[in-house]
Amino acid sequence: MNLFKSIKWRLQIWYGLILMVVLVALGYTACALQRNLLFNRVDGELQRRFSVLADALHPHPPGGGRRPFDGPPPDGMPDDFPPPDHEPGGFELPPQDEALFDPNEPHHFYFVILGRDGKEIGSSTNADAALNSKVSTEVLEQENAPPRIIPDRRSMPPSFYSNQGRVLARVLPSGETVWVGCSIVPELNALQNTMFWLVGAGMIILLFGLAGGWWISSRAIRPVENISATAVRISAGDLSQRINVAETESELGRLAAVLNSTFARLESAFAQQKQFASDAAHELRTPVSVILTQAQTALARERDAKDYRQTVEACQRAAQRMRKLISALLELARLDAGQEPLKRLSFDLGKTITECVELVRPLADERGIRMSADAAPLEITGDAEKLSLVVTNLLTNAIEYNHDGGEVKVATHREDNMAVLTVSDTGRGIPPEDLPRVFERFYRADRSRSSGNAGLGLAISKAIVSAHGGTIEVASEEHAGAVFTVRLPV
Amino acid sequence: MRILIVEDEPDLLSGLAQALREEGYAVDTANDGEDGFYKAENYEYDAIVLDVMLPKLDGWQILGRLRKIKKTPVLMLTARDQSRDRVRGLDTGADDYVVKPFDLPELFARLRALIRRSKNKGTNVFQIGEVKIDMAARNVFLKGAPIELTAREYSLVEFLALHCGEVVTRTQLYEHLFDENDDTFSNLLDVHVSNVRKKLGADFIVTRRGHGYSIE
Repeated sequence: MNLFKSIKWRLQIWYGLILMVVLVALGYTACALQRNLLFNRVDGELQRRFSVLADALHPHPPGGGRRPFDGPPPDGMPDDFPPPDHEPGGFELPPQDEALFDPNEPHHFYFVILGRDGKEIGSSTNADAALNSKVSTEVLEQENAPPRIIPDRRSMPPSFYSNQGRVLARVLPSGETVWVGCSIVPELNALQNTMFWLVGAGMIILLFGLAGGWWISSRAIRPVENISATAVRISAGDLSQRINVAETESELGRLAAVLNSTFARLESAFAQQKQFASDAAHELRTPVSVILTQAQTALARERDAKDYRQTVEACQRAAQRMRKLISALLELARLDAGQEPLKRLSFDLGKTITECVELVRPLADERGIRMSADAAPLEITGDAEKLSLVVTNLLTNAIEYNHDGGEVKVATHREDNMAVLTVSDTGRGIPPEDLPRVFERFYRADRSRSSGNAGLGLAISKAIVSAHGGTIEVASEEHAGAVFTVRLPV
Repeated sequence: MRILIVEDEPDLLSGLAQALREEGYAVDTANDGEDGFYKAENYEYDAIVLDVMLPKLDGWQILGRLRKIKKTPVLMLTARDQSRDRVRGLDTGADDYVVKPFDLPELFARLRALIRRSKNKGTNVFQIGEVKIDMAARNVFLKGAPIELTAREYSLVEFLALHCGEVVTRTQLYEHLFDENDDTFSNLLDVHVSNVRKKLGADFIVTRRGHGYSIE
């Protein structure tokens, strides 16, 4: 897969970048902190030495008192200000402080003191070497005392980058300039050392981090791969597969659950289709069997006209059954496929009901069943022909499953924007275990075929009603008749 | 041979019953499960043709209950042709399983085979003395020459031949050669026996006084 399309790789790259940025930031901070620490220490050392030199230049008067550079006196300048100049080369470092400027010490501390006239008063033994080394130096200055003229033979261009020395230079109020400097090479080495270690550690951490991230993102992605593998198996034909939800918890668990329920619906829809096709074929077998057996028997020997007539009549009955079955199946298939868009015309449901009632009246009369229809005019929009099929179906069922001398009642009324049609009978009712299944295809409460009914009537009715956007329900108790309620949008 | 047909589709039931009668069987009919089981339980049949989808009691239930008390050969007739339905049928105790729509001659042959198997006879052709009986073709030959027998006469001969060596009582003959539609006249049986003797030889059928008849 293209590197940039793979979630795993994208996660990895982003994660790697972020980790790197974090590590670099951390490392930089660590370095900066250390730099500060080290340089503060060095600056402290420089400052110490500066104080020592300042003291040595102008020792405290015994018994206390202010020194000329201890700051302006509270009440104006003293009389002996400024103090007398030192002579060039006249400054000697007190012996106890010599250790501070030990040339063997790695920092190579040095000092140079310039008099007011810019001439050198004193310097440490390593001063020349330090100054002539021409290394760039950072000059630290006190705010109110910019350095005086730098003697020619000392060129110390300050530069910010790659400094290897540090100098503290101050002008004393008495006019002398004191330079205290050192090499910061040890510090720089230490910093460099630190940086190497940080970079090294950082790289190792980055590697481990990337590996860890790769592992984590693999694990996170695995459920997705799981799901897609299952989906592939399903689309290859095995609809019974389900995603193992135990493996995929959390957010993906919800996805898996939704997919599983979709697969379950798919599977049941397919099973229903298969069942339907097999039931349809099954239903046709018996009428064909009748025709075949009757024909074979009739042809087995010479018969008289009466026998042939009977045989042919039996064949006709079987053929009629098949015809009805076939047209019912085709109707269902058409409704299923949604091929014919329903006609949507305005018509009077009440009139339709009256017509259907008249149509089935002979059937009712045969059994002494009374039919009463309360069919007030009711305008609705839909396919009048198909809806009359529904009404007729409900009526014939009501008659067929009724007791002799029973009653069938048809009524309509309006509820909000729905037309409600009820057909009730006083027949043998529907047992509770069959109640939820009456609208299934080929479902007959009495599972034999002797009634000649294939069990499709209610299924077709339901399909037609649903196509109109309505609902059909049944309420019934065994032995206490049944009430079918159809709701249709007006 | 007496057959019971249990089938709820009336045209099929009547067609099949007529066809079997014309083949020479005595045929009882039932068009629902309860009636069918009652008859199967209480009468002796040589074979039962049993539909699966029946009102009141379905074929599986009838078979299950019947097998507890009888070994009557059962040929199941059904529109369900899935393998598992066949397996179920055969395992529940059916001896054969035929799917609708079926070919009539095939049904007859299977019935014959069922009956033959149940009487432990391996073949369709019997030679008894000089009489040859071909049960597949329903022909009887004496010394090689074909003999005309009425359906009832043939049934009698066939039944006795299948019980060759055993004594068959008159009651048995009544039960197996006549169906519910026949009037029961004792004499009828004697007439048939006498006619067969005329056609196939006086000692073809042996009378055992007080017991019955047999063919040796």
